Amino acid sequence: MKAVEKKNEDSAVTVLSFDTSTAAFAAAIVRNGERMDSTVSFTERNHSVRILSEIKDLLSRNGIQSKDLDAIAVGQGPGSYTGVRIAVTVAKTLAWTWNKPLVGVSSLESLALGAWNSLQKSDEYMADERKIWIVPVMDARRGQVYTSRYEATTSGEWSRIDSDGIRLIADWAKRIEEEATTDSQVAEVWFVGDLAVHQSAIELAEQSGARLRTMSFDMDAEAVGQLGEIRFRQGERADIHTFVPNYTQLAEAEAKLLAASRGE
Amino acid sequence: MNEQRDTSADSPKGDYVLLAIETSCDETSVAVVRNGREILSNVISSQIETHKQFGGVVPEIASRKHVESITIILEEALREANTSLEDIDAVAVTQGPGLIGALLVGVVAAKSVALALDVPLIGTHHIAGHIYANHLIGDIVYPAIALVVSGGHTEIVLLESEGKFRIIGRTRDDAVGEAYDKVARALQFPYPGGPYVDKLAQEATEEVVLPRSWLEPDSYDFSFSGLKSAVLSEINRSRMKGESPDFSALARGFQQSVIDVVTGKAIKAAKEFGARQMLLCGGVAANRGLRERLSSLCEEMGLPLLIPPNKLCTDNAAMIAAAADLKWRRGQFSSLDLKAEPILSLEDWSV
Repeated sequence: MKAVEKKNEDSAVTVLSFDTSTAAFAAAIVRNGERMDSTVSFTERNHSVRILSEIKDLLSRNGIQSKDLDAIAVGQGPGSYTGVRIAVTVAKTLAWTWNKPLVGVSSLESLALGAWNSLQKSDEYMADERKIWIVPVMDARRGQVYTSRYEATTSGEWSRIDSDGIRLIADWAKRIEEEATTDSQVAEVWFVGDLAVHQSAIELAEQSGARLRTMSFDMDAEAVGQLGEIRFRQGERADIHTFVPNYTQLAEAEAKLLAASRGE
Repeated sequence: MNEQRDTSADSPKGDYVLLAIETSCDETSVAVVRNGREILSNVISSQIETHKQFGGVVPEIASRKHVESITIILEEALREANTSLEDIDAVAVTQGPGLIGALLVGVVAAKSVALALDVPLIGTHHIAGHIYANHLIGDIVYPAIALVVSGGHTEIVLLESEGKFRIIGRTRDDAVGEAYDKVARALQFPYPGGPYVDKLAQEATEEVVLPRSWLEPDSYDFSFSGLKSAVLSEINRSRMKGESPDFSALARGFQQSVIDVVTGKAIKAAKEFGARQMLLCGGVAANRGLRERLSSLCEEMGLPLLIPPNKLCTDNAAMIAAAADLKWRRGQFSSLDLKAEPILSLEDWSV
């Protein structure tokens, strides 16, 4: 990521990053935009069990102590409510106990950037000056996905087009296809993430226009750390006490209460 | 409570400070307790105003609220205790039973503090906490019988010796507090209605006598769903006759039935197991009618009774510290892989 090169060259930055918004537990230590070490596991469905042991191992096997950390970066969601709460609570509490700056990053943006990093490394990636859309996808049940859209270029630009939200995959894929077809600057469209149950909906959205490519991709905490580091260098700090997950929607009971109060 | 620190003097580790976290239901609580008995702070953030509008605790919302409050309450507890993080020797947390999503927030927060400070972690049983709340106000003499009455639990527990729990009776359906809340709803009180029913029963001049559910003669178990139905059918019967039901007489009838059965069984257990002390605990221990009856029954038989003040009866973290002290003094610590358990055996948690 070229954006990282905007950093102040004088100061090294070391970030502990992790995310539990998906089926993966992912943690990394990122120093100056580069992965120092990382871990990812799927063995335990309940991320709350191993998260602290994994973080402890990760730090100790790299000889990193809390005093060596400049910030803690965490995937703030969206994703599994319980899952996101685990990483957010750990991040808040570690940051509070160690008195470290806390930076929240979008779990969807992390997923998208991780996939983009991976695509850039692969040979099949074609060099092109035009834009590439990265559409991260996490299953949200009943045909819905947590998703957003990012735009990347090989010259290192990275920007968000749509905000994180919960959308129907069929409608969303159709919209992306139509917009990519009419925008001549878009060279490629990649749907990335947990695609197993949504592959067919994405294929159905493909008309004669833009090709919708897919790549199954698991959360990579290196991307969480890279995004966190950029924000940290830009002076962003989350308020530890008020920091909460981005659920993207009200709890069901709240939504019902709100609907009832509107007479729906 | 300084005068009661004498028994912890025999602790092999000397003076120590425990940070305790409780998030099993709808209260976010953090306490700082010295030597397992001396409360330096016990901060409780109740979500009750939030859950009122839903007529009960909504688990997802409870979990969200815990995340919003956790570090704020941690900080407040340390400040109130005039203690800094460096003074903390161990971290205790409610491991279960409780709402899983709510427990998880406390458990991962406690594990984070334990890792960050490199101090031991003590996973603690919520009911052991309610029982050992009594250790914050007095000395426990064994064998003891604990009557645990709360929104989620109704149990008679035998403690043959310190930290050894044996459940001899439990509810087969509703917990006492649950029955109170359901009856309160029928009597048109807002949630949580237990205290209203207690007050109305106290003030009543009439009583609609309702059945007592004693179950089998040798059983210490409870059942309250029939009693709740009896209240509902009395209300219906009055309405069908075109009369307005006498809510205060019903509240009294309900309360008398509950109190007769729970105190009757607790006293019987105390006799059978030769208890030298009775412990009343749990949120419903705040019920005045129950306190008064159990007090007079224990007095009659010369059985010492401990009842914590209301603040230590409802869910709070100081009681978790009091129970965790059992494990601290025996060096029984949890691993960082501690798992929150919605259902957790009290007997297995024994020292």
